[in-house]
Amino acid sequence: MKIVVAGKGGVGKTTVSGTLARALARAGHDVLALDADTNPMLGVSLGVGPEETDLLVAVRQGLETGETEHERSTEGFVERFGRDAPDGVRLVVASRIDRPNPGCMCCGVSPEGLLNELESDGKIIIGDLEAGIGTVLRLQEGQADVVVIVAQPTAKSLNIARRAVEMAAEKSARTIVVANRVRDDEDLAVIREAVGDCEMIVVPDDEAIARADREGVAAIDVDPDSPGVRAIIELADRLAAMAVPA
Amino acid sequence: MRIAVVGKGGAGKSVVSANLARLLARRGHRVLALDSDTLPGLSISLGAEVPEEAPLNDAAERTEQGRWRLKPGIGPVRAVQRYATDAPDGVRLLAIGKTDKRGLAVNRASHNAFYEVIHRLDRAASLRDWVILGDLPAGARQTAFDWAPYAEHFLLVVEPTWQSMLTARRIVRVARGQREDATFSLVVNKVTSDEDAARVQEFLGVPLIATVPVDEGVRSAERAGVALLDHAPDSAAIRAIERLAEKLDVGNIER
Repeated sequence: MKIVVAGKGGVGKTTVSGTLARALARAGHDVLALDADTNPMLGVSLGVGPEETDLLVAVRQGLETGETEHERSTEGFVERFGRDAPDGVRLVVASRIDRPNPGCMCCGVSPEGLLNELESDGKIIIGDLEAGIGTVLRLQEGQADVVVIVAQPTAKSLNIARRAVEMAAEKSARTIVVANRVRDDEDLAVIREAVGDCEMIVVPDDEAIARADREGVAAIDVDPDSPGVRAIIELADRLAAMAVPA
Repeated sequence: MRIAVVGKGGAGKSVVSANLARLLARRGHRVLALDSDTLPGLSISLGAEVPEEAPLNDAAERTEQGRWRLKPGIGPVRAVQRYATDAPDGVRLLAIGKTDKRGLAVNRASHNAFYEVIHRLDRAASLRDWVILGDLPAGARQTAFDWAPYAEHFLLVVEPTWQSMLTARRIVRVARGQREDATFSLVVNKVTSDEDAARVQEFLGVPLIATVPVDEGVRSAERAGVALLDHAPDSAAIRAIERLAEKLDVGNIER
């Protein structure tokens, strides 16, 4: 099963992706977390640590200077440009910050292309996409089974979420809105108004998640029972119910 | 004064840029705000109307070889005169255009025109006294692709989270790789304690120019999608950005 996570920058895509990946892994699934953001940060939310997360980027940037050999196969790519994260999640960084160098798997393929190349084989692949709307726009029909759109109660985030929901629906993927950082009824009402009757999970504004962001650790390690983390675990349960057992 | 505002998504780049632009305009400067983000952000924070179609689409044409260029007779000054739109307090806003369902292709002319305009701003004599303030999209990518060639100075907007700090460090590295003389100062946003700013400053090793506190006024302005300066002009965040405007105005940038 392939799940992609989209939304405006800073709304919590990476926190949702990372927590989701860990929760699904804890539930016994084989999880590949694909960091498809050009500013890759998924490692932080998975609990790999900030400096370790930056090292993964450095490896890919090293291609530029010739310090790193290019890679031509998907398997080799996952092996060489990935690393293990807690609970058995495999993390792969798909994007480079700067220019691509077509002709090999590690540089030439777009995150969307990589999503196509990767075989599910009973695995759950979670793609943390680049901020914005282009990624959902470019998504091909059948490329993802579920599109998770993270939104927070701000006009800017909802402008993007509203359009992303429309676009995802056209691609006949199951679309789930994560209403993130909700503090009160008014917060929830503005999100509901923007995304209509789309399936939704409400993630309350959460001190444990804020602390995780500050400390550079995984929210699920700070407090797996905090209201926000529990809501994301509930999302994991819903998704797991869709997955074909390996 | 020519500044690019950079940082992670959601750090507050647009809120800082927009209010800085308007406050500098109120201090008597002519201000050109540059919006190279295909997502709406700066215009909402400025309280400016966004045209449905990117005005700059009219400014560029394709040569027979398939290359984009500004149409004959259109230089950076004319492009600003004709295609920038009015924002509150007399700020002029030149925008790349917004992505909609039709995808990026419909604004290809605008993107190319914008890129060419910003690369020729340094030769535009009549804009020499203007404040030029660019709000870049999230992350390091546009910095890597030279989307802020006009910038004499980068304002890093960072919140006290690791993701935001790492992003800022990547941007600094990319910008320094582009040009050795790039200078930076740090705006720590959404600060809840003195320790927050100190921690970010220590991590990045960049001079701190402003700290902006977490502010309910920002929260409610962002929810409503209106300009903070109109919504909560007396908020602590606005006061902090006013002090930033004053520091920049007197050229008090520590380098």
